[in-house]
Amino acid sequence: MTSAISLQKLAKHYQVPEREAGLKAAAKGLFKRQYKNVKAVDEISFDIQSGEVVGFLGPNGAGKTTTLKMLSGLLHPTSGTASVLDFEPARRSHDFLRQITLVMGNRNQLSWDLPALDSFDLQRAIYSIPTDEFKKTRDEFIEILELKDLVQKPIRNLSLGERMKMEIVGALLHKPKILFLDEPTLGLDVTMQKRIRTFVAEYNKRYGATVLLTSHYMADVEALCKRIIVIHHGKLLFDGNLSQLAEKFSAFKTIGFTLENPATDLSQFGEVVSTDGSRIVMRVPKEKTSAVTSRLLNDLAVDDLTVEAAPIEDVIESVFAVKKEAVE
Amino acid sequence: MKGIKLAYNYLRIGILNEFQYRANLYIQILQTFIALATGLIGLNLVFSQTTALGGWSKPELLAVMGVFTLIGGIIRAAIQPNMERLMEEIREGTLDYALTKPADAQLLISVREFRLWQIVDIITGFVVLAVALSQLNWLIDLWSVLGFLSALVMGSMMIYSFWLIITSTAFWFIRVQEIANLFEGLYAAGRWPIDIYPNWLRYGLTFLVPVAFAISVPSQALTGRLTLETWFGALAFTVFLFLFARGILKLGLKSYSGASA
Repeated sequence: MTSAISLQKLAKHYQVPEREAGLKAAAKGLFKRQYKNVKAVDEISFDIQSGEVVGFLGPNGAGKTTTLKMLSGLLHPTSGTASVLDFEPARRSHDFLRQITLVMGNRNQLSWDLPALDSFDLQRAIYSIPTDEFKKTRDEFIEILELKDLVQKPIRNLSLGERMKMEIVGALLHKPKILFLDEPTLGLDVTMQKRIRTFVAEYNKRYGATVLLTSHYMADVEALCKRIIVIHHGKLLFDGNLSQLAEKFSAFKTIGFTLENPATDLSQFGEVVSTDGSRIVMRVPKEKTSAVTSRLLNDLAVDDLTVEAAPIEDVIESVFAVKKEAVE
Repeated sequence: MKGIKLAYNYLRIGILNEFQYRANLYIQILQTFIALATGLIGLNLVFSQTTALGGWSKPELLAVMGVFTLIGGIIRAAIQPNMERLMEEIREGTLDYALTKPADAQLLISVREFRLWQIVDIITGFVVLAVALSQLNWLIDLWSVLGFLSALVMGSMMIYSFWLIITSTAFWFIRVQEIANLFEGLYAAGRWPIDIYPNWLRYGLTFLVPVAFAISVPSQALTGRLTLETWFGALAFTVFLFLFARGILKLGLKSYSGASA
């Protein structure tokens, strides 16, 4: 099977004007500007197979959006190569653009004052979708996302979540093979996030589409992505599945147990994260887990003891805390 | 073919959008009326002192005013709104959605907006023109009509290309709104026929801002002043300006980096 998406040492550097604060520095900048070279994406390489759903993670400013923009043909790479469905994205060939879509959680493309149906019609014209096929796809998506009562209302009268659902319908009407989803659930409530996740999963299953998804909500990633790619300071930090990520980056494990006498001082065993009646959850360094567990069982009257990997949020937090020097 | 279909669909959306704001129609009628009234008063003031201005009689100048209003309407209906949106999107980095579509980028950014109510200006322009021509006892002859219509198309294309060049510089300079405002001032100079201005200004207007071509050439066609050389000159200049604008836009798109995130 050939890769749907392939990156070879892909890099994007920006020249960013830089000056000190204050009037004098600003005036100096009129004549001679100082530039700083920022490596937004620094030689990253990976392959994504057709039909995969991959979570693309990294803190703000890690280079995720820049990468997605290079892959969707918006930005020309400084060096390296990108290949999407065997096309070079930066050439923006129409055959390529017809097979991809880019959804950005913080941007709208549907006409603000018009009902979504009118904007959908425009998408049909742009992508030259045959009318019958267009209607079938549109009605199917509208039904799955339960938008029937909303498609005739102007977009501006919809809630954020409803609007996002409409955006997703609009972005998928041409049934793209590659989905670049940049924070599609940004700012949405839990139910709405879940609805959108389910839809993306359904779309992937039904059409065998390849999905590259960035999100700050770990629930999105856990539900959708078997594989995770982490970038930080423009460099590739990790590429593998979620459990491997926890294995590699988490320094801690959590131990949960029930204690007969909750008043017992536990500070010698580790850090107590939460206490709920007699149920206690502790965080201990990974290498001490077995020692602490046996001591707890020997010294105290504990019940229902469980040892778990740290929650994914904690893992991500420790990944994001990696310093720039350590990445290089 | 696809381009026409796409333009039609955007036009449709633009019209639908405008119907949401009916009040704009009334404001537009008022604006056009005021502009027309001031124009007419100015013209009458001038001709209360003299019978000809730079070789142009009063009805001929009325025809120029008609063309001025007409092309102004075209600019504000179809050219300016698209260019302003492009400028805004370059500055905010929101051009992304337009660039991920399988359509010619220039076509797409040029047809996305349409201000329907500016049609009031276009109609008024035609009416003024008709009045002027009747005062001139103009006999409809095929060649001047063709000359006029082709000059109108070329003039609009020139102004479009000129706007596009200015707007595309936003890819490098980010804030070009001020330059765009300058255009409106220069366009106002087109209210009078080009030959009444001193030479230096005339060339400035013709080559820097193709206002002269856009307004004077169609007016010349109607008043029997248009020579074949001028017509071919205008054609060559239109093609050149269009290709140049397209080149600049392509360069700009290449350096487009989009405001992050």
